[in-house]
Amino acid sequence: MTYIFDEFFASGLEESVSPFLMKNSRPWGKNLHLKSALFSAGLLLLAFGTFFHYTPLSYFLLSFVYFFAGTPALIDTIEDLKNWEINIDTLMTLAAFLAILIGSPLEGALLLVLFALSGALEEAVSHKTKNTLLSLHKISPVIATILDDKGIPFQKAIRDIKIGEKILVRAGEIVPLDGIVVDGSSSVNMIHLTGESTPVPKMISNEVQAGSRNLDGVLIVSVNRLSHESTLSRIITLITQAQEAKPKLERFLDRFGKPYAMTIIGLSLLFGVGLPLVFPLSYFGLEGSIYRSLAFLIAASPCALIIATPTAYLSAINACAKKGIILKGGVILDALASCSMFAFDKTGTLTTGELKCTGIEAIGESSPYSIDLALSIAASLERNAVHPLGLAITEYAKEKGVPLIPVDRFHSKPGFGLEGVVEVEKKRIPVFIGHAEYISSLFPIPETALTRHGPSTYLLIDRSLFAFDFLDALRPNVKEALKMLKEKHLSLIMLTGDNEANAKRFGKEIELHEIYANLRPQDKLEKISSLTQSHRLTMVGDGINDAPALARAHVGISMGKIGSSTAVDASDIVFLNDDLSLLPWLYRKACQTSRIVRQNVSLALGVILFATTPALLGLIPLWLAVTLHEGGTLIVGLNSLRLLKK
Amino acid sequence: MSIHLEGKTIPEHLKEARKKGSHASSEIHGAEPPGYLFAATDSAKETALIMAVITLIMPESLHLFLLFLPGWCIWKFARSSFLGWQRLQRVHRLIEEERWEIEHHRATEKEELMELYRLKGFSGKMLEEVVEVLMADDNRLLQVMLEEELGLTLETYEHPLKQGVGAFLGTLFSGGILLLLLYFFGLWGLLSGTLLIVAISSAIFTKNERNKISAAVTWNIAFLILVAAITYFMPFR
Repeated sequence: MTYIFDEFFASGLEESVSPFLMKNSRPWGKNLHLKSALFSAGLLLLAFGTFFHYTPLSYFLLSFVYFFAGTPALIDTIEDLKNWEINIDTLMTLAAFLAILIGSPLEGALLLVLFALSGALEEAVSHKTKNTLLSLHKISPVIATILDDKGIPFQKAIRDIKIGEKILVRAGEIVPLDGIVVDGSSSVNMIHLTGESTPVPKMISNEVQAGSRNLDGVLIVSVNRLSHESTLSRIITLITQAQEAKPKLERFLDRFGKPYAMTIIGLSLLFGVGLPLVFPLSYFGLEGSIYRSLAFLIAASPCALIIATPTAYLSAINACAKKGIILKGGVILDALASCSMFAFDKTGTLTTGELKCTGIEAIGESSPYSIDLALSIAASLERNAVHPLGLAITEYAKEKGVPLIPVDRFHSKPGFGLEGVVEVEKKRIPVFIGHAEYISSLFPIPETALTRHGPSTYLLIDRSLFAFDFLDALRPNVKEALKMLKEKHLSLIMLTGDNEANAKRFGKEIELHEIYANLRPQDKLEKISSLTQSHRLTMVGDGINDAPALARAHVGISMGKIGSSTAVDASDIVFLNDDLSLLPWLYRKACQTSRIVRQNVSLALGVILFATTPALLGLIPLWLAVTLHEGGTLIVGLNSLRLLKK
Repeated sequence: MSIHLEGKTIPEHLKEARKKGSHASSEIHGAEPPGYLFAATDSAKETALIMAVITLIMPESLHLFLLFLPGWCIWKFARSSFLGWQRLQRVHRLIEEERWEIEHHRATEKEELMELYRLKGFSGKMLEEVVEVLMADDNRLLQVMLEEELGLTLETYEHPLKQGVGAFLGTLFSGGILLLLLYFFGLWGLLSGTLLIVAISSAIFTKNERNKISAAVTWNIAFLILVAAITYFMPFR
């Protein structure tokens, strides 16, 4: 059996899914950082408990805490320093280890444990996110069925397929490479490429694009573009370029943390070296400048600062997950809260992408057959349909409660339509259903009908013609959701590949600020690139054609159910249930998270300014400083927990 | 000649790659059976030997062992786990390298695969078809290259922590028993215990390796006696 390495590589070579480990051995590697952090936390509690009764035992336990929580932090810090990067993590690690030198190993260990716990929780959450997204369907085919000179099928990697080779595409399969149909006929849809579910008939000499889904018949396609030149590949190249151009997202704490850490470390050095030059102090000893500078550095690295952001992000991510929204990291929330413009794709995003039959109409002179009978015949022909239009018709017939009737001499013509013979009032009548081109080859369709109904689906009963109307339905509660976003003074625009008339009519219906139509993937990317120069922008989309724009926007939101895996990969947020009505809630949650992070950081700094530093200077009693310090940490934690509320 | 081959022919490259793979996959202690079992029995033997040698040099060593054993247990656990992790990282690096080669040197990989299957007796159109089928799926190709070219086997290793726990328990068990024997029966108690632990550990492991138990036990006891004799009869002791 072939081993599937995808999960292992997608996880970033996680040992818990290592292909080399025995299956029963893999759980040992699961959430190791979290287990280690929790173990350290337990030992730290014991160390606290024993500190005043039997100090050597407390130190014995603390050496384990420093080993388990301190070693990984130290390795990360050394890596940061190797890259000349001083950040809040460097400051915390430095403070934790230097605490040993001034005889406060418990405080140092607490810093390390909180640091390890917050890091491990973030890692566990992002790992869970990766797993959730990995389980979503994948559409990019890697293998194609090739026909050799004798017509014998065999499998070949699409990367090895040359121009002119013939691919067999069965019903339900994805077309793996761009090509020309040389045999067979069928309908394909572009739902994964554009979100468009309306089937397009394909017959000999028609071009088909990689990524289209073959709906009913069998197609033999002669490849006319190599895999790296195919539509799908070109879009993937665009995504890579867009990801490289994407503005770098930074956590609020990162922006604030770098200068803060540099200042504190700089001041500590200055105090250590400079104080004896200004004041009558020695360098060494409990009253010496080195001791004081170390105490200052440790005091300026409070626990509240460590937990200020991770607890807020984790609470928000958890609340989002409960609503079926997956975030690829807490930093996305900061970026989302700062956006002033939302761009939407149309088909599959604002609409469901599923066609709904909205009616049937007789065409031309009065027909001897009633509308209900016509619907009954159409549904009877389509009863085993896999075609989305056929499914919509049978669903509509079910809603209307019309009965099905037996069909004789049933024949399916993939890519064209269906035909059969039914008995009406003891007369056997030939019936046909299919797209305009097929029906018009049997009976002329008036020009007015074609203009009114388009190329959708026509039913021919003897010499009576009927047309069906379909609608790509607006997602439930989308109008209300967009209205709520507008109330937040956000600018809402739509980017669609649809024609201008359709796009404008639709945009007017849902009252968007601006509409851009007729856009190809690269056009969408260009539009998003230019808009991101002047606005912080969130793009919401679902198809592969949206993926470059999703990757380029400050924040990309994709639909988990209808969306292609490429769009899901390129986005930062995934709506697992495609419920767009949650968008205002998510925006509010992002703003709330951003606010709470700022409150937390301010509180942590307040503790440094008004409790720890005055205590070091002897301005307030130590017990008050300790109470304010621990109280500050507790308040920060509780403040973050407010984000858990749905 | 591709850069990937570094001036070697395809058969030479395959030979070297297999060597690299088998080196990477070999058990850190030089054997294949379950890592945790080997780590436990080996640590038990090593602890027993060290305690016997120290007691021969310093007969009053009970207090020393009480201080030494906890740290020694942790060291054995950490060392065994760490070596396991190093090995796991090494095979992970190899799998990544192989994936990269498949992605970037597809033609050379195909040639290598051709050579591998030619050596297995395939030829002509059959050989081409077999290679084409193997090349069709990247997962399958990667698995074949790992197994056939690098000689790595999937899903065969224990987690490093499991191995570490084995080493820890072996050390703890061996050290604890010998401490009790030393406390209650003195030097001879410890030496008899050492013999017993070495014999049992060797027997358990050899049984798993399906080798001859009596020979293995005798060899191990002989090593132990030799080490003890060298220590005891050392002229400058």
